[in-house]
Amino acid sequence: MAKQNPSEQLDRVVSAILGLSALPLSPHDVSRRFDPAVAPFIEVISDLRKLPRPDFKERLKADLERRVGMTASAKQPQEHASLREGFHSITPYLILTGAGSWIEFVKQAFRAEEHLRVQRPGQGDDIMHAEVQIGDSMIELADANPQIPAMPGALWFRVDDVDAAYHRALEAGATPIQAPSDQEYGSRDGSVRDRFGNHWYLYTPKPDSRLFEGLHSVTPYLHPLRGAVLIEFLEKAFGGEEVYRAQSPDGVIHHAQVRIGDSMIGMGDAHGVYQPMPSTLHLYVSDADQTYEQALRAGARSIQPPADQPYGERNAGVVDPFGNRWFIATPTRR
Amino acid sequence: MKAPLKEADEKLLVDAAQKDPRRFADLYEANFERVYAFVARRVRSRADTEDLTAEVFQQALAKLPKFEWRGVPFLAWLYRIAANAIADRWHLASREQGNPAPDSPSDRPTHIELEGVETRARLYRLVSTLPVQQRRVIEMRFGEEKSIREIALELKCTSGAVKQLQFRAIKALRGQWDGKPGTNTRKAHG
Repeated sequence: MAKQNPSEQLDRVVSAILGLSALPLSPHDVSRRFDPAVAPFIEVISDLRKLPRPDFKERLKADLERRVGMTASAKQPQEHASLREGFHSITPYLILTGAGSWIEFVKQAFRAEEHLRVQRPGQGDDIMHAEVQIGDSMIELADANPQIPAMPGALWFRVDDVDAAYHRALEAGATPIQAPSDQEYGSRDGSVRDRFGNHWYLYTPKPDSRLFEGLHSVTPYLHPLRGAVLIEFLEKAFGGEEVYRAQSPDGVIHHAQVRIGDSMIGMGDAHGVYQPMPSTLHLYVSDADQTYEQALRAGARSIQPPADQPYGERNAGVVDPFGNRWFIATPTRR
Repeated sequence: MKAPLKEADEKLLVDAAQKDPRRFADLYEANFERVYAFVARRVRSRADTEDLTAEVFQQALAKLPKFEWRGVPFLAWLYRIAANAIADRWHLASREQGNPAPDSPSDRPTHIELEGVETRARLYRLVSTLPVQQRRVIEMRFGEEKSIREIALELKCTSGAVKQLQFRAIKALRGQWDGKPGTNTRKAHG
């Protein structure tokens, strides 16, 4: 064998080892196949074979740091609940054509109680902001106008007697979506659409059903085109925690629940009459500025940077990738 | 073998990370090379090694609040997570292929295996102490599995020069690496 310079000889060993199987070369192989001068290096070369890629360590670290951000934020709403009195972490905000009439409808159909009504100055009965309570939950609403078009929503509503509530809703002017029937997942469900475009998914849980644990009386329900993507967004943006998912093998989500703070978001992928209804949601957090930034990093678009509001909140607005509008708020006075 | 001070240091790091998850970065920095080397010894492909290393640290971060000191080093806990993750993948792969589950590597690493892991982890760390050009050659050649010609193109030098840098780097690593197993054990666990 012609004598090569040491760096050439060493590279032959490196090439051989990088091209070989996971089995290391034995000293015997080395002495047989290579110049004995390279023998001292064989172990080093063999152990370098799986050297981590230079960027892998940093990428994994960045991924863990993102997860840490999620962990910290996920705890915030529960550990430092920063809520307006009488409100949960999430409150549906309906933008309706005929908000005043809708209040009459929910009073008649669901025994709602009106808490607040602020009329738009100089606009007759036009409601700028109103709040009604149904069961243990608040719903906020306002009249639509040319700048803010109507944005009805879907509401998942627990009632003591689904048949009675369903019929009261029809009497008050709602139209049927599905007549009450027993469901194998542990409830009796019926659904209606009110005259203002909102869907009401009424249910009465069976006593031993655990699916509905942790739900308030009214839970916003979304019909995204791809629920899995929305869940990921809610986790990253708001520290959401997926607590339930029923999914078919092709990835279609039939029903999922994500907990944010003390509240839940329900969802099922859009299908049939259940088409996307981008909604407006009022979310209380301990630090509106921080959650706003986090939401933007998770893919939301800003519609209003954080600002102190005269009604005692610091809030910000974002739109998520599915068109839902989130008003992220921290009370500034109690 | 473990120096008490090292154990105290490690406990401080774990306590800090349990109180504030952002401090997990310190535990990650202290253990990355060992976990990677442990996984690399048990699985063959680089992609699987990376996937499983990521899984180990993600699980460790998620389970950290439940970690309790019971006289077992934090690293041993990471190795246990790694061994379980590797075994799970092993069984999953054999099920997907419709084959009966082959014998997966033992969950409990042997002394010899851990010595090998320590040796490799130390070597990985030594690479980062090399002069810049030598380090880049070693990272590209072994970490990115590039040919001498590709490295020469990237560094804008001749193939001969790359081989020279590689030679000097491996010689330096060998020099720093002498007397490896045994004498390294204390540092490796600390």
